[in-house]
Amino acid sequence: MVLVVLCTLAQVPLGTYGAVNMYMRSILVWWGPEGSTWIIPVFPGGTIVGLILTLNLLAATVKRLQFTWAKAGLWLVHLGLILLVSGEFVSAALQVDDRMAIEQGQTVNFVESYRDTELAIIDVTDPAFDEVFAVPTSLLAKASTVNLPNNPITLNVKRFFPNAALADRGPMEPPSIATAGVGPSVKIEERAVVSADNELNNTSVFVEPVAAGRSYGIWLVSIALGAPQSFIHEGRTYMMSIRPTRHYLPYALTLKKFSHDKYPGTDIPKNFSSLVQISNPSKGEARDVLIYMNQPLRYEGRTFYQASFGKGDTLSILQVVENPGWLLPYISCVLVTIGLLVHFAIMLRRSLSKRQEKVS
Amino acid sequence: MILSTIPMLLLSLGCRREEATRYRVPKDAAAPAAMPSGTAGMPPPGMGVPGDVPAPPRPTGQGALKWSLPPGWTEGEAGGMRYATLKPPVQGKVEATVVVLPGMAGGELSNVNRWRGQIGLGPIDEQALAAARKPIKSKAGTVSVFDFTGEGQAKSRMVAGLITTNDGNTWFLKLVGDAGPVGKAEPDFMRIIGSLHLD
Repeated sequence: MVLVVLCTLAQVPLGTYGAVNMYMRSILVWWGPEGSTWIIPVFPGGTIVGLILTLNLLAATVKRLQFTWAKAGLWLVHLGLILLVSGEFVSAALQVDDRMAIEQGQTVNFVESYRDTELAIIDVTDPAFDEVFAVPTSLLAKASTVNLPNNPITLNVKRFFPNAALADRGPMEPPSIATAGVGPSVKIEERAVVSADNELNNTSVFVEPVAAGRSYGIWLVSIALGAPQSFIHEGRTYMMSIRPTRHYLPYALTLKKFSHDKYPGTDIPKNFSSLVQISNPSKGEARDVLIYMNQPLRYEGRTFYQASFGKGDTLSILQVVENPGWLLPYISCVLVTIGLLVHFAIMLRRSLSKRQEKVS
Repeated sequence: MILSTIPMLLLSLGCRREEATRYRVPKDAAAPAAMPSGTAGMPPPGMGVPGDVPAPPRPTGQGALKWSLPPGWTEGEAGGMRYATLKPPVQGKVEATVVVLPGMAGGELSNVNRWRGQIGLGPIDEQALAAARKPIKSKAGTVSVFDFTGEGQAKSRMVAGLITTNDGNTWFLKLVGDAGPVGKAEPDFMRIIGSLHLD
């Protein structure tokens, strides 16, 4: 109860994601005075509380409930509750929340992470395809060198910023450590990491591509820099950028039409919907689907929800959730319902037979 | 008991390995710019369409440079920093780009050294810069042209010109790619530079 209240209050400064991670999906809740560097554990986190509740429920069920047909309903109810709590553990461990942004007429075959970013180094030389080397920025935070797989290029990580503010560098300011690209003319200042729903971390890195003993200079690559920067090694052009982590799909979605209906005479949204076409060459499938509020598309283990829109109603943002345990809450609700009905039937039968005995 | 141990196992599986990956994807249209986090409702207030980094103001009217395309060349606009992309009728890896930036855009030496870095050459000093500079006259003014060829097995070559117009913008015209195709397109590219004029 305390965790639920604290988590609810913390959503204002931390956002949903930050608050849930701090209170619900943590082993301990940590606290430290404002501005201090030390923190202490002050309360058990949701993981510990959930685990203790589950184990307690399991132990109580085994110890107190006789394994008889008369208690079958109660067994089902308890198992349903255990499954419900377990489902949250499964979601915490395996659920992946991504997004897909599609403009009208565009076809997209990948989803992007809301939170995670990657340094994408793309060999764009071939006219037909791109060779993508994706380095998670969480790896850049720890590693001093990163070797690109099956490629002669090695990245020397000079400095990593989980979040930073970028601005034009004035003539009187100290020089940047960047020697190539736009970096030399950019001033960068580290910022505290943010987690609120409407804030974005400007993940940035100073990185030096090296190949065959030759340095290609130190580049500032940042999610805040719109255009990718490029260098040429052995006649091959490599584009560098930091972008949300991508997961490519074996199928593609084309946005045919995005509709944004309002209540007549107002700007109050009534309905958003995306008419998309799913194209899955491996299955020979091409069909239209309408995604709208509370009517997601479930396809190949992912659920596509209508989440947002932009660019004058020509861009649709779909929230894409991959959760292998999505059925568990439904199964647990069914189990609890059946358990209660079974227990009610058993008790009814027992009370009817008692009444029968009294009468006779 | 099994029910509660399975989630624990899943928790340990949930930690994904952090490593660089490599994969191949077909070329396609650029995806919309990334949006900030926000799982539902509207884009956050004040964010506009996030990820849209304001491009430099696009000169029009009297400040805009014009050029004449040689036979077979095609022109297309490109987003981001590019003002135009020019494609020569040459097989192989070669492309010409036009970029315009406000002010001196870092100056001649830093831009030349940045270009040299893109094809794997080391920086040069002011003296070498003056030696490498080839002035080309055009109706828009004198264009400083540089021609560098990289090293290594597959040589890259870059021919680039820059000119600062009266309104203070600096224009960069760059022909870049593999040495062979660039060599074939270079005479036409120099004609484009010679044909530069103000609107």
